[in-house]
Amino acid sequence: MSVESQCTAAVESVVNKYADMVYRLAFAQVRSKSDADDIFQEVFLRYVRSKPVFENEEHRKAWLIRVTVNCSNNHWSSAWNRRTVPLEDCYTFELPEESGLDEALRKLAPKYRSVIHLFYYEGYSVAEISAVLGIRESTVRTQLTRARTKLLEMLKEDY
Amino acid sequence: MIERTYKSMNEQIRPSPGLISHTLYLMEEEGKTGNRTRSFYRGPLAITAIAVICFLLAGPVFAVNVPSVYDLMYLVSPDIAQYFAPIRESCEDNGIRMEVVSTYIHDNTAEIYVAMQDLTGDRIDGTTDLFDSYSINRAFDSAATCERVGYDEETKTVTFLIQITEWGSRDIEGSKMTFSVREFLSHKTKLEDVPVDIALAELSGTSKTQEVQITGGGGKNVKDWGDSMTALVPQIPICTPLKGIDVTAAGYVDGKLHLQLATRDKLTYDSHGYFYLLDSRGNKIGYVYSVSFAENIESDERIDYQEFVFDIPQDEIGNYSLFGSFYTSGLNTKGNWRVTFPLVPDDQQS
Repeated sequence: MSVESQCTAAVESVVNKYADMVYRLAFAQVRSKSDADDIFQEVFLRYVRSKPVFENEEHRKAWLIRVTVNCSNNHWSSAWNRRTVPLEDCYTFELPEESGLDEALRKLAPKYRSVIHLFYYEGYSVAEISAVLGIRESTVRTQLTRARTKLLEMLKEDY
Repeated sequence: MIERTYKSMNEQIRPSPGLISHTLYLMEEEGKTGNRTRSFYRGPLAITAIAVICFLLAGPVFAVNVPSVYDLMYLVSPDIAQYFAPIRESCEDNGIRMEVVSTYIHDNTAEIYVAMQDLTGDRIDGTTDLFDSYSINRAFDSAATCERVGYDEETKTVTFLIQITEWGSRDIEGSKMTFSVREFLSHKTKLEDVPVDIALAELSGTSKTQEVQITGGGGKNVKDWGDSMTALVPQIPICTPLKGIDVTAAGYVDGKLHLQLATRDKLTYDSHGYFYLLDSRGNKIGYVYSVSFAENIESDERIDYQEFVFDIPQDEIGNYSLFGSFYTSGLNTKGNWRVTFPLVPDDQQS
């Protein structure tokens, strides 16, 4: 594809429109700024490389979510990445309860984090999460229940 | 309580402006390669796909006598052939035949091989590109891609791989899809990493400029400018790297080096190019941003401009050399090619 085609306002508008969504979802899973940066770039580079065709904007959003989750999963497939999260890669949140929740999310198993994020932040229903991640609805429900339980337990311990 | 805290926490998480602009730059760089042929993937199944494609492209029977291809496939390796369902649906227009050769459905993905062959001339070659002229219609929610994966010189046949991934829980088997093409480019020419004959040290620091309406762009802070920017006024071409591609202006504006590329028939032949600098150590220096604008937009005399901006002080520019890469196509062939076919596994083929 040509330079101009790739650099059209349309492509740039996709990045601008979904930058926050992709970055937050990536960070939600890896809890590290530098890793979220890497995933962010990889997602949009895949967007350019594969030049997907979408029937509507919802499909584009779903594609970006799935690719972000896949890239994050690839990140977690590295044993080194599972064990190391540099301190300077963390966010400093404004409120103590936000920092507490961030700490709890770090302790939560990675597989629960994408479901939590899509449910609590993106406002997806269980059925929508099931569709976009390609997992059964029952699995989504189970993961949500377990994640909430674990988070509440960890937060109680903190206070 | 968790939900509220989670939301407020995430509102503070954002990609840095630097990350966004660098990503846009990388996307632009990725696009400059013009290479849509991806390497295959997915372990053992990928090897299967490669083997089959190599086999398909190996002989002159390809797309001329498709049943023979499958007979031979089974003779050589039944294990490989079993993954692909022969389709053999084709159409012909303007002397070009388009044929859906085979499909391979696995999990929630369909892979479809489509061949295009010139029956009357030499319009299809190894650079054939469908660019944005194809469409894929299917009855299920999905994302789809189309890439050129091979070319057979003897039969003048180019092969494309369409990959469709279903997004919901619906079974794609049994669905129908339509693949259509309305034009394609071929006989592409490229000049990559060539020196551009412009005396950078002698450029004017007071170049003639104009306000232009931006039609596109990429790089650092482009989105902050709004709809217009200051660009160089096009002059008589300084040099012409490829037919239809001219360097029409070069100079300094507000302390930054501007280089202007003009393309005619850009929309027809996808002509494009870009510049970069090499310092005295051979390090490549990319432009910080580029913007596009056009003249005579609605007429046959349309000219598209792209202005590349480098952040190198004028008193240092003599230490750099200018290079560029340029691309254009020799042919644009139009037609109406459309094939509808079922997505059915091989064992359900009649």
